[in-house]
Amino acid sequence: MSDLHIASVTKLFGETSVLKGVTLDVKDGEFISLVGPSGCGKSTLLRIIAGLETPTTGTIAIGGADVTQLRAADRNLSMVFQSYALYPHLTVAENIAVPLQMRQMTALQRLPLLGGLLPSARAQAGDIAQAVSHAAQILEIAPLLDRKPGQLSGGQRQRVALGRALVRDPAAFLLDEPLSNLDAKLRVQTRTEIAELHRRLQATFIYVTHDQVEAMTMSDRIAVMMGGEILQCAPPDVIYEDPDDIRVAEFIGSPKINILPVERNGTVLTVFDQVLSAHFSADSPKLMQMGLRPEALRLTQTAPLLTGRVVHLENLGAEIFAQVALDSNGSRVTLRAIPAQRHSLGLGVQVGLSFDLNSVMLFDADGARLRKAEVAATRAAEVA
Amino acid sequence: MVAVDASGATRVTKPKADNRQARTGWMLATPALVLMVLILLVPIILAGVLSFTNYSLGNSGFGWVGLQNYERLFARSTYEKMFVATFTYVVTVVPISVGLGLGAALLVHSLGRIGDIYKTIYFLPVMATLLAMAIAWEFMLHPTIGMVNRTLEMACGTWLEVIPFFAGGCADGFPIWLGDRDYAIWVVCFIGIWQGFGFNMVLFLAGLTSVHRELYHAAEMDGARSGWERFRLVTWPALGPTTVFVVTISCIRAFQVFDTIEAFWPQGGGPNKSAYVMMFAIFEKGIQQNLIGIGSAITMLFLLFVMFLTLIQRWLVERKVHY
Amino acid sequence: MTRDWWKHLVLILGAIIVLAPFYMMVSYSFKSPGEIDRGEGGFFGRQEMMIDPRCVALRQPGRADIEAARARFVGQDDASVQASLLAETEADCSMRPALFNYSKAFTEAPLVRYLLNGVAVTLSIFLIQSVVALPAAYALAKLNFWGRDAVFGLVLFCLLIPVHAIALPLYIGLAKLGLTNTYAALVVPWTISVFGIFLMRQFFMTVPDDLIDAARMDGMSELAIVWRVMLPTAIPALLAFAIFSVVAHWNDYFWPRIVVTGNRDLFTPPLGLREFKGDGDGSFFGPMMATATVIVTPLIVAFLLAQRRFIDGITLSGMK
Repeated sequence: MSDLHIASVTKLFGETSVLKGVTLDVKDGEFISLVGPSGCGKSTLLRIIAGLETPTTGTIAIGGADVTQLRAADRNLSMVFQSYALYPHLTVAENIAVPLQMRQMTALQRLPLLGGLLPSARAQAGDIAQAVSHAAQILEIAPLLDRKPGQLSGGQRQRVALGRALVRDPAAFLLDEPLSNLDAKLRVQTRTEIAELHRRLQATFIYVTHDQVEAMTMSDRIAVMMGGEILQCAPPDVIYEDPDDIRVAEFIGSPKINILPVERNGTVLTVFDQVLSAHFSADSPKLMQMGLRPEALRLTQTAPLLTGRVVHLENLGAEIFAQVALDSNGSRVTLRAIPAQRHSLGLGVQVGLSFDLNSVMLFDADGARLRKAEVAATRAAEVA
Repeated sequence: MVAVDASGATRVTKPKADNRQARTGWMLATPALVLMVLILLVPIILAGVLSFTNYSLGNSGFGWVGLQNYERLFARSTYEKMFVATFTYVVTVVPISVGLGLGAALLVHSLGRIGDIYKTIYFLPVMATLLAMAIAWEFMLHPTIGMVNRTLEMACGTWLEVIPFFAGGCADGFPIWLGDRDYAIWVVCFIGIWQGFGFNMVLFLAGLTSVHRELYHAAEMDGARSGWERFRLVTWPALGPTTVFVVTISCIRAFQVFDTIEAFWPQGGGPNKSAYVMMFAIFEKGIQQNLIGIGSAITMLFLLFVMFLTLIQRWLVERKVHY
Repeated sequence: MTRDWWKHLVLILGAIIVLAPFYMMVSYSFKSPGEIDRGEGGFFGRQEMMIDPRCVALRQPGRADIEAARARFVGQDDASVQASLLAETEADCSMRPALFNYSKAFTEAPLVRYLLNGVAVTLSIFLIQSVVALPAAYALAKLNFWGRDAVFGLVLFCLLIPVHAIALPLYIGLAKLGLTNTYAALVVPWTISVFGIFLMRQFFMTVPDDLIDAARMDGMSELAIVWRVMLPTAIPALLAFAIFSVVAHWNDYFWPRIVVTGNRDLFTPPLGLREFKGDGDGSFFGPMMATATVIVTPLIVAFLLAQRRFIDGITLSGMK
């Protein structure tokens, strides 16, 4: 019913192009994250969806109706702002009631004193009060209803902003980095709560964040944006395991994916002169880049593909990340190890590393994924 | 051994450091404190005491006259005119200069960078020496060769003559402004507004820039369609503290009007004392005529008004602070 | 821009009214009395040569002048010699109206002296205010001492008192001390700026304690901390306060009017202008407007050069 259709939207701010033709379809009830580094255009895209900015070209449709020319107030969307944007002079209850008052009551009914005397206004006010207390119950902020935003903690304000968004029944919720002003602990907790809220409301959520962890943990689909474009829009596991672009692979995942150069000499693939796969037959460039997640690397003593010295260790308890400076050119790769392997890792220790070819992602020099080459490489290795 | 020494040392030096800090504190604050008492507090007490006497400078003694000075203030028609003139001025200048200041600020703010030129222009009267500008205005308002009446005369013979003011002016001459008891106080008010609204505008502009932009977006998302609704929901509440302050400071400044009146009418405060404001009365009675008792009584009333206003402001702000 | 045309219309109308007296003041300072009377000559006037009647009157050729000049006008009778001399005088005494107005402004009254007085008084007021207020503000903001809250309470109370309002008792006090008609009278009542103390105290509150502790660790005395650590960090606030103070006292007319009577050597610029007006007749509109222009110009120019600082400084009082 309220699916969202964004078609080749561009946005120019003066001379600079902030969005370069973004197309995105959001299904009804979907939780979609727009993630990317700052300045990638994700907030601009959200504000264009909201109607706070107009696109230079392109269209926005909600539920099949073109809303590109409609102003924000008429689009039936609600938004949670980074700074929460609560009206400081209104109590929590009044803040939550504002969207209902603006939409359901006439200007006359809203008049401060006179409005209260109209019977219709009183009936309306009753309905609104009920809606407000319902929203407050969902978010567990009922005890705060009489306070003003200035008397609330960051987390509480965040809930009030959520309450103001969900008090009416919008076509979609737009959330602009709603967790970025919270401390780390609260962020994790609120993350869960927003995801649960989404499941409960079954509503469309469009969530802008620069934090890949938020995107990974909450979304049905993630749209990774860079330089004003959506590089890839897919479920989190696909984004992580099967990225289309080296920039996506590098942006998602912590620690960062390891990138190593791969060379093709005829039918032989090599990395730092170590043969990865002979009898390689595929139409691929001579120079490629290989992406390896830290967990794809494993320690080995027999026939290691890579060798190097441990230069830095991070023990996170459940896992250990080791940075290894490769002997071949000194570049560092990160390896994930389990605590049981702790004894074989120590600063300065020489280690051998190996990996499975089917966990390798190949990219061309421009960063585009080379899936055919990967398949060919894996097959060649199996044949050998 | 070492540990004991250390703890002993801290126990001894702590109060010592406190003592030293206290001594320095008093040392640094004393000059200001002394001056504050001598220059601000003692004169108030002095004025309070003198307002019950018939003291004059040069006289060796004085007599206590009780409330006689205050009684006179409320009985004589001169002082009635003083109160009328002062309150007319305050009640006219404050709302209009605050309103114009707010209006100008909203317009200038909505224009962005181009608006800065207006900000500069409107602020010029605040910077200019008021006395000089009062004299300039006096020339502008000169009945025969002043720019104002010359401009008005240009309307003669046009359709504007339909308006009674122009019809009368063209037939019998335009007002002589400063010499006319019906116009004098209003001209002074006009100059007060002319001089003060730019200051208010700048204060409002400062208030406007501190309004978080996301609040306007939130209001838009919440369905506030018209500019008026957004003003009601976001701008006006955000300007609340600024408004309280602007009104108070405008009141205090309006109460203190003196330069224009002394420049226009060095003797006596306007035609038929129609612009005989309190500061001028203090100056004339207390200093020129050496009637210190009555001058002090006016001073005390004046202080009462001003402090009352400021206290109301503080109270309003305190209430608003708890957002 | 096109959508905003009505805003520009309203604002431009306002700007015309705001600028009108400035326009007139500067324009009249260029014009001859005749042009002022008749209201002609545009902004700059026609700048035709005009004869200064007072100059001519002062140099009316007497008997001795005629005798002395006889050698130059051989074979002429007395009347024509006198006429020639008069013509010479008139030629000497004629000048462009703009020059006439401004030279009169500086010669009819010691305007330079007034301006210097203005500079001296405003600067001394600001300096003394700073010297008194800064240490007190530091003590109130950063030192713990018994009675501090009481002192600060007193500061808050004194903020309520406009100094102009207590002019009469202050005047009496100064008169009793025999200080009226001195520079001291112009400066003394303003030496304490409660607003300055309050302002600087609020500013010092925002300076981290660590900075002061570090200075103490480095072995500075409390006074040295005020001048060598706090003062430099407070420069922006102090600058704003300086603008606030200088503008107020350069333009102040009320207080100098009270304590300086008659002694021209002590006149501040507004007093000088006032005196000019007092004894001027119609023909002196030009020089008077020249004087007004000279007095108003320094602050206006400074303001135009550093608008942001000025606006910040003047509106400072609105921030707290």
